[in-house]
Amino acid sequence: MAAAKKKVKKVKYKRQYYPGPDRVSANRRRAMDSSKRLTKFRSIPDDSLVELLGHRFKGESYVSVHPPLDELVEKYDPIKEIVEPTPGARAGDRLRFLQFADSMYYPPMAPWLRARVYMSRLRGIDTVVYSGRTLLEMRERDLEQAAKMLIETHIFDPARVGIRGVTVHGHSLRLDEDGLMFDARRRYMLNKETGEVEYIKNQHAEVLDNPIPVGRPLTERELRAYDVTYRWDVAPYKSRSEILTVLGRAAAGRVLMGHNPELPLVEYGGLYINEGEEWIEPEMLLPGSRERTSPEG
Amino acid sequence: MKYEDKVDLYDDEGNLLAKDIPIEALHPYKNPYMGEVYRFMKRTTVIELEKLEDMLRTGRVGWSTIVGQDEIKMPWYGFDVELVDNAEYIADELVKLLQVRPDDGTEVRVLEGGTILVVQLSDEVLNRSYDTSPAFTRVVTALGQIITKIANLHPLENLYKIGLVKSALWGRYPQTVGTPPGHPIRPLLKLPSELEGLGNGLKSIMINHIAALADMRTMWALAIGTILEQGAAAEMGYNVGWYERYMLLTSAYQGFNANCLVLDLIKENAKGTVGDVMTSMLQRALEDGVIVKKGDKYPWVLPSGAVVWAAPDLCLWNAYSIAGLTAAAIVNCAAARAVQGVASVIAFFPDMLIWETCGLPDPDAGRMLGCGQGYVFYTHGLYGGAAPGAFSCDHVIVKNTSGFLTPISAACACLDAGTQIFKVTTTSGLYFTIAQEFPIFRNPMKRVAEAAEKIKDEV
Repeated sequence: MAAAKKKVKKVKYKRQYYPGPDRVSANRRRAMDSSKRLTKFRSIPDDSLVELLGHRFKGESYVSVHPPLDELVEKYDPIKEIVEPTPGARAGDRLRFLQFADSMYYPPMAPWLRARVYMSRLRGIDTVVYSGRTLLEMRERDLEQAAKMLIETHIFDPARVGIRGVTVHGHSLRLDEDGLMFDARRRYMLNKETGEVEYIKNQHAEVLDNPIPVGRPLTERELRAYDVTYRWDVAPYKSRSEILTVLGRAAAGRVLMGHNPELPLVEYGGLYINEGEEWIEPEMLLPGSRERTSPEG
Repeated sequence: MKYEDKVDLYDDEGNLLAKDIPIEALHPYKNPYMGEVYRFMKRTTVIELEKLEDMLRTGRVGWSTIVGQDEIKMPWYGFDVELVDNAEYIADELVKLLQVRPDDGTEVRVLEGGTILVVQLSDEVLNRSYDTSPAFTRVVTALGQIITKIANLHPLENLYKIGLVKSALWGRYPQTVGTPPGHPIRPLLKLPSELEGLGNGLKSIMINHIAALADMRTMWALAIGTILEQGAAAEMGYNVGWYERYMLLTSAYQGFNANCLVLDLIKENAKGTVGDVMTSMLQRALEDGVIVKKGDKYPWVLPSGAVVWAAPDLCLWNAYSIAGLTAAAIVNCAAARAVQGVASVIAFFPDMLIWETCGLPDPDAGRMLGCGQGYVFYTHGLYGGAAPGAFSCDHVIVKNTSGFLTPISAACACLDAGTQIFKVTTTSGLYFTIAQEFPIFRNPMKRVAEAAEKIKDEV
């Protein structure tokens, strides 16, 4: 605090979220950047969302796991006074979960990116990334609010993102004849008349009273525009060289810092050499060694 | 003084405790208060007399899981013996049997109306022993003799009852490597034979217990957790030579609120997300010159315009990034008032930080991320795991950082409003009593700072 005050000129740090010059990286950045709005694609009534989550009946009051914070007698802790609890925490709601499975066929969201999106956009969360699916745990009423954002915007594709509390398998399986991700519990189907995907079971695979339409599947064109993964036909291999540079730099930095954080090193473009050593342009190097390709080089 | 680095220490309300403290004054082998804590942890054993009495009456011994404590019942060997009523007598006898010479510091306290005894061995015993075994072995042997005397047992008359006394006091040891979980006689730290590896002893305590010892005060738990973890780290050889400054700086910033960094980050982001805390941390790092922009052209700015941040001093960068991670976890858990989210912040904050800074080494050279991934899996019901606070700090899931993970969990356990099955009050009630009875754990931040102030000219 004292050190910061001494500084006369204050430089502002600008969040950059993610490197990469192309559309795929831009999509990743946009999803993580909480100052940017996600495009709204569909509107789902609150009651339908509650039914989809399947943690309480619509209209039912929230079950609490502890008394509201205002009534709770707790030991003194300044941190509890500083940080503002979420509405769900304030009311003492249960912790409930929402789990998404993302297909690997052009989904608008990917499991590993979800964690970063949740961490940037939501407060008071708990998330776990498994293979092909991502769990989100929050206080019940906060979760319902978050679910609205996560399901109504472009990061949810009714066909290739599934709301699945159980039996999540489907990430790497071929799409069915209607272009929907495989679901062993058949929670959703395409209504051919309306062209919309309808959930006939909630995320726990319990049959719903009425099907809940969650909108039309995104078109191939839209999916390619919103794709967040590098693949041959969306963004070619070379376009991610920036990301590979960053990955290499992070890996080298970890090894060197883990080995000896005091090593005097000189770094250039993600490559490290010892202090005092002569710098050789990477393209002049023999692969896998610090030798030059030619004596003249 | 080996290092130039000096820090100001603040308490959890933002008050300055000590100014210009050289980081070496916070070394686990130099700071007097930290030494006191280690001494206390090693010499203290808790005896639950009421439970022991009940076990002897019902012949309930030698179980193997915490929930199956009635697994073996042999009431036909059981006998009535009044231990709680004779607590004062037992305490006096224990002192007589355990002390090396009169008034050598051996102490036995009777708590909670005689249901609990707290035994503290003398320094003489611990100094001369190879490890902390006497805190268990000598205590149970002495207790066995006292119980035999009170119950008036004799091998010629009550052979099997004496066998039961052994099983009640030692559990199945030596068939098993240690005592059963939930054993009535337990040193504060694990038995040496139960440890996960060399030098893990000082951190062989459950995360929830640390929260209880800190009386559910977030930053006190951070401090106590850091003291224990750094003690163990020193014992494991983690802070020798190359790593000394790295460990000292990081523990100062994470555990003892150096330069008020952690508290400032929490205050700035009282309504923020994990990502916001990261931004504030990087802002602070930029202001303090911890991260720098080396140039305006490639390779320091990538074609997309992303700045490749560089950290001239990796030790200080690690201290800042771990302080940011600590604040982020606290902000996230305090917003939900639930401890469950701590593991995921530990797992994903470093991942976000790598991309944000374009490849600076993440907290603890990737160990926080790696350890956090395992932690996040095993703290969630899908894989049948336990609560974040129910792990011992030397558990194989959480032990593999340089001692920076469990203090965060302990701090966040303090923020839980009661959402867990393994609540602090459920698992660690006894430790609240210990913290109340022995004021050594009161206000650890202040005491570390005072101790550092005292030795700052000598280090």
